[in-house]
Amino acid sequence: MIFKIEDVTVYFPYDNIYPEQYEYMVELKRTLDAKGHCLLEMPTGTGKTIALLSLITSYRLSRPDSPIKLVYCTRTVHEMEKTLAELKVLHDYQVLHLGTQAKILAIGLSSRKNLCVNTKVLAAENRDSVDAACRKRTASWVRALSTENPNIELCDYFENYEKAAENALLPPGVYTLEDLRAFGKNRGWCPYFLARHMVQFANVIVYSYQYLLDPKVAGIISKELQKESVVVFDEAHNIDNVCIEALSVSVRRVTLEGANRNLNKIREEIDRSKATDAGRLRAEYNRLVEGLALRGDLSGGDQWLANPALPHDILKEAVPGNIRRAEHFVHVLRRLLQYLGVRLDTENVEKESPVSFVSSLNSQAGIEQKTLKFCYDRLQSLMLTLEITDTDEFLPIQTVCDFATLVGTYARGFSIIIEPYDERMPHIPDPILQLSCHDASLAIKPVFDRFQSVVITSGTLSPIDLYPRLLSFTPVVSRSFKMSMTRDCICPMVLTRGSDQLPVSTKFDMRSDPGVVRNYGKLLVEMVSIVPDGVVCFFVSYSYMDGIIATWNETGILKEIMQQKLVFIETQDVVETTLALDNYRRACDCGRGAVFFSVARGKVAEGIDFDRHYGRLVVMYGVPFQYTLSKILLARLEYLRDTFQIKEGDFLTFDALRQAAQCVGRVIRSKADYGMMIFADKRYSRHDKRSKLPGWILSHLRDAHLNLSTDMAIHIAREFLRKMAQPYDKTGTMGRKTLLTQEDLEKMAETGVQDMAY
Amino acid sequence: MAGEQVEKRVKYKSSVKDPGTPGFLKISEGMLLFVPNDPKSDSKLKVQTQNITQKFTKEGSNKPPWLNLTIKQGRNHIFEFENYPDMHACRDFITALGKSDEEPKKAAVSTSTEQLSNKELELRFKLLRENSELQRLHKQFVESKVLTEDEFWATRKKLLGKDSIRKSKQQLGLKSMMVSGIKPSTDGRTNRVTFNLTPEIIFQIFAEKPAVRQAFINYVPSKMTEKDFWTKYFRAEYLYSTKNTAVAAAEAAEDEELAVFLKPDEILARETRQKIRRVDPTLDMEADEGDDYSHLMDHGIQRDGTMDVVEPQNDQFKRSLLQDLNRHAAVVLEGRSIDVDSEDTRVVAEALTRVKQGLMFHLKIADSIQVFSSLTRTISTAKNIIGKNPRESFLDRLPKSTKDEVLHHWTSIQELLRHFWSSYPITTPYLHTKVGKLKDAMSNTYSKLDAMKESVQSDLRHQVSLLVRPMQQALDAAFQHYEADLQRRIAKSSGGERPNGYV
Repeated sequence: MIFKIEDVTVYFPYDNIYPEQYEYMVELKRTLDAKGHCLLEMPTGTGKTIALLSLITSYRLSRPDSPIKLVYCTRTVHEMEKTLAELKVLHDYQVLHLGTQAKILAIGLSSRKNLCVNTKVLAAENRDSVDAACRKRTASWVRALSTENPNIELCDYFENYEKAAENALLPPGVYTLEDLRAFGKNRGWCPYFLARHMVQFANVIVYSYQYLLDPKVAGIISKELQKESVVVFDEAHNIDNVCIEALSVSVRRVTLEGANRNLNKIREEIDRSKATDAGRLRAEYNRLVEGLALRGDLSGGDQWLANPALPHDILKEAVPGNIRRAEHFVHVLRRLLQYLGVRLDTENVEKESPVSFVSSLNSQAGIEQKTLKFCYDRLQSLMLTLEITDTDEFLPIQTVCDFATLVGTYARGFSIIIEPYDERMPHIPDPILQLSCHDASLAIKPVFDRFQSVVITSGTLSPIDLYPRLLSFTPVVSRSFKMSMTRDCICPMVLTRGSDQLPVSTKFDMRSDPGVVRNYGKLLVEMVSIVPDGVVCFFVSYSYMDGIIATWNETGILKEIMQQKLVFIETQDVVETTLALDNYRRACDCGRGAVFFSVARGKVAEGIDFDRHYGRLVVMYGVPFQYTLSKILLARLEYLRDTFQIKEGDFLTFDALRQAAQCVGRVIRSKADYGMMIFADKRYSRHDKRSKLPGWILSHLRDAHLNLSTDMAIHIAREFLRKMAQPYDKTGTMGRKTLLTQEDLEKMAETGVQDMAY
Repeated sequence: MAGEQVEKRVKYKSSVKDPGTPGFLKISEGMLLFVPNDPKSDSKLKVQTQNITQKFTKEGSNKPPWLNLTIKQGRNHIFEFENYPDMHACRDFITALGKSDEEPKKAAVSTSTEQLSNKELELRFKLLRENSELQRLHKQFVESKVLTEDEFWATRKKLLGKDSIRKSKQQLGLKSMMVSGIKPSTDGRTNRVTFNLTPEIIFQIFAEKPAVRQAFINYVPSKMTEKDFWTKYFRAEYLYSTKNTAVAAAEAAEDEELAVFLKPDEILARETRQKIRRVDPTLDMEADEGDDYSHLMDHGIQRDGTMDVVEPQNDQFKRSLLQDLNRHAAVVLEGRSIDVDSEDTRVVAEALTRVKQGLMFHLKIADSIQVFSSLTRTISTAKNIIGKNPRESFLDRLPKSTKDEVLHHWTSIQELLRHFWSSYPITTPYLHTKVGKLKDAMSNTYSKLDAMKESVQSDLRHQVSLLVRPMQQALDAAFQHYEADLQRRIAKSSGGERPNGYV
């Protein structure tokens, strides 16, 4: 359908539109008009992505003189592919109605591991070794060497791509990662470098958050994006965590050991280089004297990761004199490692600000702040000079230099915390020195500053006023949308008691109570016998899940569950979890039914959908609070209180509830879907906790469902399932229009949006 | 027991109150007969001995020696003996009969699926009547016992039509229960524990733990008995359950066979690596890790209380319950992948291994099918020639008897080869003997072909040998395979006995 929002003609590839999608577009357009940032909460399953894509591409078409670029950030590769698939549909529709002028270039971008087509490189087992294997074949010095030595193996795809030079271009169209690989294979061009090259020409780029927020990657990939871009962060409820993680780094014993080995290797390389090609090191020295850390002509494959500090914090100065010579730099690093080793030897927890850390480093090891700051650049330069390609081997020294650079750059918003062991496992000594960032606004600030509009959107952004404070920005629009529904297809419940009327909770003093564990188990035993197909359970942590499953196994509860459904579990091994999920889906498909045990804040809770029969019920066991005694968390809370006036309790509750909402939200991905959500903890019945859930869940949470025992919940579940099994009217009748046609929209345009029925 | 019988003088009572009819009770295998002394009496009795349950009065009680036999259909027959020894003799005889009955019953169960309805039999007869070639083959192979009746028809299901195709057995799924749930039973006095292993449990262990399966194939019976094997296995399981990795490591260091059970399962790891490539891309969380440079070694936040405590997982003697649960559920979902209904643990183990190596296995079969189909092609072209252009056909120029003979040899070789190749790989002793018989029959045919070549007139000899050559080639291929397989088996079994490779 084609309709107008004010002066923009919107091309929407479907015949009907949900009222909330229309409203969403209206708000989005206002944001673009104002060239500002916005915060939009809309439940999943309401077609958020297509609304976004449709409005922004249509907006671009309506302003041909100042074309905007869309940078769409997703959390997972799978969301990336889904977004591009939707864009394809939209693009076809626009081209159909407007002809070739609507043609755009849209690409997905991911790491070498996901884009490479060279089977030999792909054989490497993890991302870092794939990167290294690629560099071994594409680094400029390797290629130069191969002209003399034909035995050196290069990558044909990269060679062909280089040969094509300026002609290596993607024709307009929408390219998923799969399409890019196919195109690359077909033309014999490396899809990874081609995609990276096309970033500057593409109208739409879809990639991971990190490519914009993590300076290490953003500095390489996203350096040249124009200001006239709209940046969208989809599923952005955890964006503050992504931001602080991007700037945090820690050092362990193994890191130091590895770094020492790396230094030995570097030392050897320096000696060898001196003996064979002294000119190289001298040239580097001269370059550094001139103030250039890196050669100007770095080809795409040479630079590996960028500076871990944010672009505007990087000094544009010459590398300090005391580390210009390679040997001197190695000496400085040795002293740094030694100092860090001494600090790790502590028996007490120590907390320090970067300023005092740097000053004691200066007094005890004689390393100045400015020297620290240049560690990253100096190491990069040295590794390039020594022509080191197996970057995956040099990760430890890289980590230490990143640490040094960050600690030398930032005086506030960070703390250094040294812990001799993890609080929860004091018997295992595992000293760690952590530089942790507390201020999410640091990493995202360059994005807000650089781009015209930034859209932050998700299904759960409640309370919506907290995000602008956490990220320190002023949105021009900040709105939370409800979901228009033809039937009550979600059924949230708060379960506070077991059948024996004893309260259930994962509160610290109650969680290991055998009565609670049994009641939690019995709830599931009862539920699996009445709920068809898939059931998902989320626990507050891995260790809690581990413990409770072990107890259920011993007491025979697990066996009772297994009589009804197969059991699959998320483990800390990604590969195993992926296989478990794949099997889980097959068990649901074939009708055997299954239960999936998972963890709030885990990878599954973040990225996997349990829609349709893959999840008819989700049980959230407990409130997923962070471990409040964690030193890093305490430091962050203190910082938030002092800097943003956010109370500790408020932040903790907010954080726990957004995770819980995220977990339960996995079961419903469209309006035709249905599912139940059980919040199994007595604390959910309290208003201050519950009220932090997103509106679209709260509006379905009836008062009668706020304080249930297991038997009552079973009764409600039976009723609900029976009701959902009935046929229903998809468009909605009786005054509640849930699908709008073009006509409806035209009528609305006359009378105003306010009249829209919910 | 056959032919034995017991005869006693008794009184037959139809009920407890019945005064009884005097007469003789004869019990023989399969039949219980009561003959009254008075031939006019109508209380004659003839009962099958199957399904009899018996009650009897105890010696020393003041009751007379009665034996109360209950037939399945519910009728009671009471016999009053003259004395207790008589009664006991009868009682024991019937008990003995009951026992010997059970065994044939079992056998009957296993063949009952093979039992045919009359209708089916009729159909077979009809087919044989109508098709003389078929009849001839049937006569040649079934009556000479190269093939059994069922084997013969198994390859001709199509001929038997839809109704006769046995309804595909619905495979029973696996139980959801975990094997680790089997609790040992103790006698309470000593520290001895006893595990009861059923074929289903063994199947599950083998399916879930390929390393254990492989170990079984490697060790049993050449290195240890099956019982020792399972004892070791449960010892290892016990070590796991104690979670005392130090003890596990120490024991594993001393006992290399035990270590096999304690080490991480490499076969499983290999399978996992293969499976992850075929996983639904929407679930592939590994792909996401590719873009995550924030968690590059030691980057990101390690201990802020959101992430969990990670117990050192690298300990090779640690295996978690969660992993076991996932693995178990995956195996249950896969279902029974093999159709071996054997009590022999080794057969199960080998069959499972073969299924896992599925690909290679299919290739081998494909090879033999190729040989086979090339032969079929020769025959069909030859037949076509007959049909199309009879005058020019060489076959036509042969005397009718020779021609028939050639054609008949063709079809019988076809039949033999079909059975021969479908018997591989040899998994049961049954198949082994079958292949032996087939091979004999084939060499028989081979010599007949030779004889035929010799016997034809010299002017036709060249043509006949051209016709015969592909047949003999096909047979040669079969013989070759037979020999190679035999050698391999011998080598394997002798190699197993002498693990160091001494011959």
